[in-house]
Amino acid sequence: MSRTHINCIVNGEPIDFLAADATSLLDALRDELGLIGTKEGCGTGDCGSCSVLVDGKLNCSCLILAPEVEGREILTVEGIADGDQLHPLQQTFLEGAALQCGICTPGFLVAAKALLDANPDPTETEIRYGLAGNLCRCTGYDKIVRAVQEAAVKLNSTSKQGV
Amino acid sequence: MSQHRAFTGGVAVVQADGATVGQIIDDLEANYPGLGMALRAGSSAGIDGEIHAEPEYVPVTAETEIYFLAPVVGG
Amino acid sequence: MTATENSTNYKWVGTRPIRHDGFDKVVGKARFGADLDLPGQLHGAFVRSPHAHARIVSIDTSAAEAMPGVKAVVTGADFPALDPTHPNFDTAVNCMARGEVYYHGHAVAAVAATTNAEAKAAAAAVKVEYEALPAVLSIADSMAEGAPLANPNNYTKFAPPGDPSNLATITNLARGDVDQAMADADVVVEMSFDCAHVHQGYIEPHACVVDYGDGKANVWCSSQGHFRVRSMTADVLGVDNSKVKVVPAEIGGGFGGKTTVYLEPIAAKLSEKSGKPVKLLMTREEVLRGSGPAPSAELRIKIGATNDGELTAIDGWMAYGVGAFSDMAGLIGAMSVASYKFPNLRMETYTALTNTPKSAAYRAPSAPHAAWAIESVVDEIATELGMDPIDLRLKNAAVEGDLTAMGMPHPRVGLVECLEALKASDHYQSEPAEGTSRGMAVGFWFNIGEESSATVNLNEDGTANVITGSPDIGGSRASMALMAAETLGIDVYSITPIVADTESVGFTDVTEGSRATFATGKAVVEACEDLIEQLKARAATIMGVDVGEVAWVDGAAVSPGHGGGEGGDPLTLAQITAQAKRTGGPLAATASLNAAGAGPSFAVHCADLKVDEETGEVEIVRYTAVQDAGTAIHPSYVEGQMQGGSVQGIGWALNEEYIYSADGAMENASFLDYRIPVASDLPLIETIIVEVPNPAHPYGVRGVGETGIVPPMATIGNAVKAATGVRMTSLPMSPPKVLKKLNER
Repeated sequence: MSRTHINCIVNGEPIDFLAADATSLLDALRDELGLIGTKEGCGTGDCGSCSVLVDGKLNCSCLILAPEVEGREILTVEGIADGDQLHPLQQTFLEGAALQCGICTPGFLVAAKALLDANPDPTETEIRYGLAGNLCRCTGYDKIVRAVQEAAVKLNSTSKQGV
Repeated sequence: MSQHRAFTGGVAVVQADGATVGQIIDDLEANYPGLGMALRAGSSAGIDGEIHAEPEYVPVTAETEIYFLAPVVGG
Repeated sequence: MTATENSTNYKWVGTRPIRHDGFDKVVGKARFGADLDLPGQLHGAFVRSPHAHARIVSIDTSAAEAMPGVKAVVTGADFPALDPTHPNFDTAVNCMARGEVYYHGHAVAAVAATTNAEAKAAAAAVKVEYEALPAVLSIADSMAEGAPLANPNNYTKFAPPGDPSNLATITNLARGDVDQAMADADVVVEMSFDCAHVHQGYIEPHACVVDYGDGKANVWCSSQGHFRVRSMTADVLGVDNSKVKVVPAEIGGGFGGKTTVYLEPIAAKLSEKSGKPVKLLMTREEVLRGSGPAPSAELRIKIGATNDGELTAIDGWMAYGVGAFSDMAGLIGAMSVASYKFPNLRMETYTALTNTPKSAAYRAPSAPHAAWAIESVVDEIATELGMDPIDLRLKNAAVEGDLTAMGMPHPRVGLVECLEALKASDHYQSEPAEGTSRGMAVGFWFNIGEESSATVNLNEDGTANVITGSPDIGGSRASMALMAAETLGIDVYSITPIVADTESVGFTDVTEGSRATFATGKAVVEACEDLIEQLKARAATIMGVDVGEVAWVDGAAVSPGHGGGEGGDPLTLAQITAQAKRTGGPLAATASLNAAGAGPSFAVHCADLKVDEETGEVEIVRYTAVQDAGTAIHPSYVEGQMQGGSVQGIGWALNEEYIYSADGAMENASFLDYRIPVASDLPLIETIIVEVPNPAHPYGVRGVGETGIVPPMATIGNAVKAATGVRMTSLPMSPPKVLKKLNER
C-alpha cells in the first residue's frame, strides 16, 4: 500500500506524516498524530464532531483526504488553549455547563472559534446558524449558545483593552 | 393486574400470609401455582409507597401495602 | 430561575462549581470509547443481515479468512448456546445471530484484521446463504390473527405456559367502572395515535477495545454501566464475571441506548481467537441499523369528563412495537399513566415483536408515547369545556396518596407545584407573540433506585477521593463531589470524584432511570457519614475526650466544654487526617446499597410556535420546561437535563423517525436523513426548577434525567392545534404530514 509523505502545520507546529491516499484527515489526526480530541460521530460530514480549521476555515475533517492538507495550516481542539491558559470559549463552556457528555464539545469549540474569528459580535441567530453544522444531543444547545455569547463579550473586552 | 387472574381462576382478591414479601409470594404460589413465578418475574414492588427492587426479604405486616410492579427501567 | 420550597440552607448543594472532569473535555484530552489504541491491535468489522427475517442456511468464512491481514473470523457458532430462559439469551442472540436473523442489520459474523480496510473487505467476502422467512414489520402485522412469528423464542411473560407468541406482554390495569363513568360523562373524547421508531441519537457511536489473555477479557468501552457490560459479556462468552474486567471510558451520550452490549463479547472472542487486542467500532449507519431504537406505538385513548372539568374516566388501548426480542414496553407504558386522579381507569396494553432492531431504553421509556396521546386528549377536553389547560390539569393533578394506573399510591410528588410554577411564569403570563400559538402538557416518570457502591478515601492532607461505579454521563462527578463536600464540610474542589473500573469499586447498576445522583449519591453520603463517625473518634483520641462528647460541625470536630484541639479550637478534617497514622491508620469508608424510595418526577412544558401554512413546517419560538428535581444538587446540570430532554422531545415531535423499506431495511440510516434538531431549529429553552424534596434521599434528590422527554410531543401537538385547528395524531409531525392535515381541513 503506497503512502504519501505529507507536510503541514498542526496547531502551530510544522509536522510531517505518512498516510495512504484514501485516509481522511480525521483518521490521520487521530491515528497518525495521536490527536484524539477530534471525534468521529458519523464519518459523513453530518455531525460536526470532527470540525477543524484548515487555513482558518471550518471543515469536517472526515470529508478531507489527508494528502489535501499538504502545506496547509490545521487547527484542532488541542490547539485552542495556550498551554494551561484556556481560551475564553473553553472557559465559558466550563462556567456555563455547556457540555454534558462532552463528545461534541471539541467540534463546537472549533466551530465557535471560527464563528467568532469571522464575526466577533454575533447575534443569537448568527450563533445558531454558525453552529448549525454541529450536532449536540445532550444540551439542547441553550447553554452552548449562551457560552458563545459570553465568550464574545470576554474576547471583545480583552481586544478593546488591547487598543 | 388482571393477567394474574389467569392463575387464580379469575379471582381478583386473594389472601396470603407471610412475614416477608418472599413468604407472601411463596404462600400465593402454594395456593395458585404459577402466580408466584409471575410475581417474582416482575421483581420490584411498591411497599408502603416506596419502590423496592427485588424485595424478597423486605419485612411486611398485616398493615403493609404491597404493589407488585414490572422492574422499572430507564434511559 | 428556581421556585423552591426547600428551606434548607446548604453550603455546597445547589451551587454551580466547574465540573471536575471539565478541563480534559474542553482541551480534547478526555478519552471516550474510540480513543484508546493498544499496541498491535486489530480492527474488527461486522457482517450484517440483508433480510428482516431469514434462516441462515450456511456461512462460509474460508474466502474471508484467506484475505490479507485477516487474523480471526467469528460467527454464532463460536459462542456457547445459552438456554432460552437465561436472562441474557436475547442479548447473546442479538449480539450475533444463531440459526436465524431477526432484523435487517442483525450481526451474523465478524472479522478482525490488521487494518480497518482489510477487516471491511474481509467482512464483505463472508458468504452467507439465507432462506427468507416471512417478516412482520408493523404492530398491526405482528398482532394480526395468524401472523408469522417474529422470533420463535418469544413467549408472553407473566402468563401461564403457552405457545410462542409475537406478544411479550399483555397487561390489563383497571379500577372503578369505566363504562358507567363514560356513560355518565358530560364530555367524552376518543382519539387514535401512532408513533414511529426513534433513536436516542447519542453522538458517540458504540466503541470498544478488548484485550483477551490468560483466559480473561480486558474490556475498555463506553457504556452507561460497566458492571452490566461485564455480566453480559461474561454470559455471552460463557465465563465467570471474574474473567471480564471492564474499564469505563468517558461516554459520549447514551440516553438509555448504552445500557446493553453489542460489541464487547464479539471483540473479546475475536481477540481470543487472534491473540491480539481488537478494536471494534460501529459506524453511524450501524448505530442506526444495529442498535436499539425506542419502540413504535399505536394508541387509542378515550377520556370522559364532567362539565366542571373533573376527568372521571380513562379507557386506553396501547401497543408498543419493540423489535425482534422480548421487552416490557407495553406494561411500563401502562404503568406510566400517573398524572391525574382518574377514579375510573382501564388500560389494555401490549408489547408486540416486529422484525426490526431490538428496542433499547430511551429516556423515560414508554412514557412519551402514552403522554403524547393522553395529553392530546386532555387538551381537546380543555378546549371543549372552554377551560384553561393548566386549570383543568390542576383540578385533576395527582397528589400524595392518589393512585397511579398500577394501583400504587403516589408518595409526595410535585405536579401541582410544577403546574403552578408554569402558570405564574413570565412565559405563561405573557401573550403569545404575534402569529404564534401556545400549547402545554404534563409528563411523569417514576425514577429508579437500584444498587450502588461508593468508596471515600480521605488523603493525608485532608483532601478526598470519591470513588463510584456510575459513569458520568452529564456532570455526575460534580454532583457526587458536591454531596460529599456538603456532608464532610470540605471544599468541593478538594474532592476528586472518580469513576472506577469493575475491579476497583463495589457493584453498581447502570446509570439509567435518573438513578445516579439519587442512589449513587446516597451511597456517597452514607460513606461520608461513616467517615464522620471515624473522624469524631480520632478527634476524641487527640482531644482526650469521650467520643460521645465530640460533634461534627462545618467540616471540623468540636467538643463543647472540653475545648477543641490545642487551645480549644475545633479540629478540622485536615488536622485529623494529618494525624491518621497516630490515631489508627487511614480513613476510608465504603457504602453499598439497594436504594429504595426513588422519587417520581413531574414536568410541565409550554411552547409557543408558528406553523408555515405553505410548507407545514413548525417553528418553535418560545419554550419553557418546568420540572420537580426534588433538590437540584448542581442546578446547571439539572437545567441541562431539562433542556436536553426537551429538545430530544422536540426532535421526536417534529422530525425523527425510522423509515423502513417494504422489506424492512432502514432507509434513512444517517444523520443527514435521520434529522435530529440543530441549533438553528430552536429557541433558548427556559427552565424552572421546582424543588419538592424526596424524603428518601438525604438531600431530597429525585433525579431529573428522564422526565424532560415526556411532555414535548403533546406540548407541540397542542400548540399546533391552537395555531391551525388541526389535531396531529401521528409522530413525527413532519412538514408533509402537517401539510396533508392542513389541506384536509
